[in-house]
Amino acid sequence: MNKKVVKLMILAGFAVLILSGCAAGVRAESTPGLTVSDSHVYLAYQTNLYQIDKSNGAEVDRFPEKSSASLVMYAPPVVDGSDLFFGDLANDFYRVSTEDLNQIKWSFTEGKGWYQAKAALQDDLLVVPCTDRNIYALDAESGNRLWTYEGDFAFIAEPIIVDEKVIVSTQEHHVLVLDINTGEEIYRVEMNGAVLSAPLYDAETGTAYVGSLGKEMIAFDLETGQTKWSYSENLDTIWATPILLDDELIFADKTGKILALDPENGSVLWSKDAGGTVIAGLSAVADKGFLVAREDGNLFFYGLEQSNDWTASVVGNVYTAPIVDGDQIFVPVIKADALLYTFNLSGLPGWTFTPAK
Amino acid sequence: MWDMIIVQPFTNLLLVITMLVKNFGIAIILFTILIKLITFPLTNKQIKSSQAMQDLQNDPQYKKMAAKYKDDKEKFAQEQMKIYKEKGISPFGSCLPTLIQFPVILGLYQGIMRVMASTPLELVKLERIVYPFLDVNKILPIQNRFLWMDLGQPERLMIGQFAIPILAILVVATTFIQSKVMQPPTQGDSQAAAMSNSMTMTMPFLMGWMAFQFSAGLALYFLISNITTVVQYGAMGRTDWSNIFPWLPKKELTPAKETVIEADWEDDEDEEPEVETVKTAKPSARAAVKRQRPKRKR
Repeated sequence: MNKKVVKLMILAGFAVLILSGCAAGVRAESTPGLTVSDSHVYLAYQTNLYQIDKSNGAEVDRFPEKSSASLVMYAPPVVDGSDLFFGDLANDFYRVSTEDLNQIKWSFTEGKGWYQAKAALQDDLLVVPCTDRNIYALDAESGNRLWTYEGDFAFIAEPIIVDEKVIVSTQEHHVLVLDINTGEEIYRVEMNGAVLSAPLYDAETGTAYVGSLGKEMIAFDLETGQTKWSYSENLDTIWATPILLDDELIFADKTGKILALDPENGSVLWSKDAGGTVIAGLSAVADKGFLVAREDGNLFFYGLEQSNDWTASVVGNVYTAPIVDGDQIFVPVIKADALLYTFNLSGLPGWTFTPAK
Repeated sequence: MWDMIIVQPFTNLLLVITMLVKNFGIAIILFTILIKLITFPLTNKQIKSSQAMQDLQNDPQYKKMAAKYKDDKEKFAQEQMKIYKEKGISPFGSCLPTLIQFPVILGLYQGIMRVMASTPLELVKLERIVYPFLDVNKILPIQNRFLWMDLGQPERLMIGQFAIPILAILVVATTFIQSKVMQPPTQGDSQAAAMSNSMTMTMPFLMGWMAFQFSAGLALYFLISNITTVVQYGAMGRTDWSNIFPWLPKKELTPAKETVIEADWEDDEDEEPEVETVKTAKPSARAAVKRQRPKRKR
């Protein structure tokens, strides 16, 4: 083989590599998945799921041991005692041990799509949304499939389980309510746009609250499926789950407008402007207030009287709702030096986590 | 800048087509064909230009000149430029259209990838580049189911227990056909022929691997792009089907311009006997003149 042919083949290889790089880059772009347990923080981002010591931010373990570009994960894991359940973008869903993340107890490989969202667990039943348009119910002990709900679009929102019902948001402009035992649809609540976040359920009133890209927030009765009220005045798209705090339903739309509605009737109690785009959900701190994370990395803590108690910032973008656990706030960030930042409830920074190479 | 000028208009155009036909698979097909048609004048120019260069390099006079100055690269380059000028050939004539097409192809690819948003972050980014007159509410979600395919996932057709990557196979086949029918006839240049053959054999498998590995939407784009290119070449009468079907008659080498060059470096005794020279009366006799070339004897 002469030199020119070899050169040409190398050049063709490079071209394919570049194109492959482009395709892979777009394919795997998502937000970090965060779960906090009693002792650890679990963070799924790109090629690894990290187990981090909650007290000091040290990496304890990671899955897989050897990173691979073909194994990418973003879904927040479900922690149940010594078990961890999560899926990846290689169409596999796992149960691993929290003692050793690489000790796979079972893997479910029937799914034909990615796992973007956190699964829901009740007793031994796992409800797993998949982008192959299916929701799978799995036996948490064995990984066996119990039922499948077939939808028309990819499921990318976390389901919630209430009593004997599975509530799951769909991109197809409705919220589905399924029978947890059979996977059969009980009813659906129609909305104006794609619903990308999980509903919030208030057990006291039996009401679920959910916003959509249809620029609305609705409340519906979980028992009957009847819409109690709908609010859409001057709203933009809503990307995240609302919070209930001090008898107020609080949420932000994409433009950064923060609204508090009366959960009973949807009337406006107050509104604020975060001053920038908000994609991530708000984080409630019981009896204290709530945290708003703007996309540009600015964090605002508002007290129960809506006073801005403190602000902080991280250099990067925030798309995942921060998690408040005890006196710590965990903020996953992308396009930043660190992947995870922590603050205390006064806004003072704590440890940060940057994955070791 | 790149996003605003290239990716955003492409993405929005693709979304408009998707809204009109209500199917993302058909939208990819129409969009690819549309872009190929829009860029056809460039493709056409590129083909003609590269054909003219090819003809020139097969020209006996040019070969003589190349042989004469094989040890003097500077002189060879000078004479070559002179010939280009006299024949009206731009040495960048085939590169420029390719360069102009490159961002279009890249934009097409990126537009398709943007519309196939399947994560919340990708949806945020998609929403941001949708023009205000398009209601994102009506656009999302995008139905990416097409025939048996999920356009956001690598394509496999389940036949019994077997998952057959139909699209990847078709991409391999059409890339091979495209390379073969576009393969220019080579005249005794074994090196060029070897290079051309190695590309023809390697590229289909590389493209097939990408189609196998990545989302079906991208594979569909590869497939339609290949088919459109073959059809375009066919419409221009440039396809040489004998490269695939050897029993068909070999396509004749038809020079882009029926002229050859006669210049001061030409040796009279080497002149082809069947070529009849028609010299024009030019004051600078040493300059190259054009003449009509008679049809080649078969």
